[in-house]
Formats: sequence, structure tokens, C-alpha cells
Amino acid sequence: MTTMTTTDPLDTDLLRQVHAGRADAFTALYRRHQGPLYRYALMRCGSSDTAADVVQEAFMGLLTGRLRFDPLRGQLQHFLFGVARKLILKVEESRGRHVALPDAGEDDGVKLELPCEDAEPLGRLLGNEAAEEVRRALALLAPHYRDVLILFELHELSYLEIAAVCQVDIGTVRSRLSRGRAALAKRLQGHAPAARPACLAN
Amino acid sequence: MMDTKDTPDPLAPGFVLLKQELAGHDTPRCVEKELMQAFQRQFPRRRPWYGFLTLPQWGAAGALCSLTVVAVLLALSPHQSIEVSGQPLAGIDGGAAFIALDSLERIEAEPDARLVEADVPRTALAALGVPLSPDNAADTVRAEMLVGADGQPLAVRLSFLQ
Repeated sequence: MTTMTTTDPLDTDLLRQVHAGRADAFTALYRRHQGPLYRYALMRCGSSDTAADVVQEAFMGLLTGRLRFDPLRGQLQHFLFGVARKLILKVEESRGRHVALPDAGEDDGVKLELPCEDAEPLGRLLGNEAAEEVRRALALLAPHYRDVLILFELHELSYLEIAAVCQVDIGTVRSRLSRGRAALAKRLQGHAPAARPACLAN
Repeated sequence: MMDTKDTPDPLAPGFVLLKQELAGHDTPRCVEKELMQAFQRQFPRRRPWYGFLTLPQWGAAGALCSLTVVAVLLALSPHQSIEVSGQPLAGIDGGAAFIALDSLERIEAEPDARLVEADVPRTALAALGVPLSPDNAADTVRAEMLVGADGQPLAVRLSFLQ
């Protein structure tokens, strides 16, 4: 995993150098952000190939200038999460598996039923059985719950940052997170009690 | 962040595990390679001035320059001219020629000069100014050479010149 030190150049500086034709700056920027972006995409769509495509497409957008990053509106990492999310939605839409996201108001009335319930189980991605079970349970959640859970629990984004990435208000993030967690807990309890990971058996 | 962090979270251990497991997952290397190729297409590297010629072309150009320099140096270098100390005294009189190979003073001062006779091809005497034409090139000329006591040739007299 790439960690950033205080001596590392800022993303905005690297981006400026990238647009000036500095290949080393592009490499540094890519290596800094590819990991979290890939992991987000992997968790979000459940396919390593699609996740790799999403990462490539996002960086291609930065490279060609098709994507305009405004540093005043947040961090590059969160901007890339937003781009990846939209790309994944586009992929899902093209596959005809798109689930319409409810409005903020709808969240209050939405039941805990899982819109992806009948989705095919995804192939195994992780070696650890307990982690894989959490991932599968997460993958079967509705995309709008999955987004906030992944960003909050795995990438440690704040409500405000998640709201910016998902382009919803902060109250919606809060409610989606709460409902998503409840749905996840329910799925983990009810899915395969015998195979429940020991870490979750409290 | 979540308000309920102070209460035990049943999902937290699972997320910790998932996070640890995911830590080793990075984008496949081929993506970086493809992106770098796209970068090269987007920002084609400008060739440096020396990149406009290939290596063999540079070799040929270098050889040409070297030859030019050598030619210029040769042209500018002071030549060691070969100078003849003096024009031999020569006189042609009625079919005979006398050519002094040394100064007249030296010839007169020679106490023990002797005369050596020989038939010399006319072509060998052309450098001394003896007239030469295709008709008489095969002829020989009677040469009488005056030689000093030390064997040094002093003068030549040529007879039967046409």
C-alpha cells in the first residue's frame, strides 16, 4: 500500500507536472492512488477485471484532461472515488443490472430488503474465509448501501467526504450507512450461520 | 465519523479482516504499462537535436567531417618545398651541350678532374633540359662527365644532340 510522507509532492503539483508532460509525475500520482481506487472498485463491482478497467479509465481521464479535478472541492483521492463510482454505475447500467438509486427522501421508507438478493454469487476474491464472507455479504447489498459502507468502513472517509463522492447530502449518507450496516449484519447472521466467521460471532 | 463508535460494533472485526485482506490487492501491472503508453502518446517525447540522425548517419557524417579537417590541415600546413640550390649552367652549341652541375669556381678549382664517357638515353636527360621528342626519344646521347677527385660529378657535356 502506498503511504504519503510530508516530503511527497502534493497531488496538485503532480497533476500540474503531468499536464506539462512529466512521465515521472504521472507514475508517482498513479502509484499513490491506484491501490485505494482499485480496492474500492473491486469491492464495489466484485470483478477484478472491471476494477482494473475502472482504474485505467479514471487515470486516462486525468491524463487526457477529460476529467477536471478542482482542488478546492476536495482531495484527488475522493474525486477519483467519485469517478470510479460513476464508471461502475455506467458498467452496471450497460449490463442491465442497474438498480435505480432512491432519493434521499426514499431512504427513510426503504425496506431492508436487498435489491441484489438474486444476483449471482460473485467469484471468490479473497483468501481469508471470514473476509471473503464479509465481502460477499457486502456485494449482495444494494449499490447505494455498498458505496457508503465501503467508503466509510474500508477507506475511512467522513460523512461529508462520502456525501461529496456519492453526490448526496450528509443526512442521506448517515441513513444509508445505518441501513446498510443493518442489512449487512442481517445477511451475515442469516446467510450461513454455521460458516460465520469467529470474529463476527459475538 | 460514526457516532456510535463507543458501543461495540459487531461488524468491526469483519471489516478489519476485510481491510487487511484487501491490503495486498493492487491494480494489475499491465494497467500501469498501458497508462504509460497512453502517456507517451499524449506527450510524445521531443527528439533531442542529436536524435534527428541515426547512428550510421552520424558515423558517416563524422567520417566526412574528419576527412574535411584532414584536407584543410593539409592545405594549410607549410609545405617543405624542395629547392634546387641553383639552376645548372647549361649551354647548347652546335649539337653539343655543356651542363655545369656545380659552380664554375668549384670546377676550375678542381685539381684532379677526370672525364668519364657514357652513352645515356635521351629520355634520362629530359630533366636537365635536353630537348626530347617522340622521334628522338629512343636515341642515346654521348655524355662526357667531368668528375672531381672525390667522385663528385662537376659537369656534363652532351654531344650528338640533334
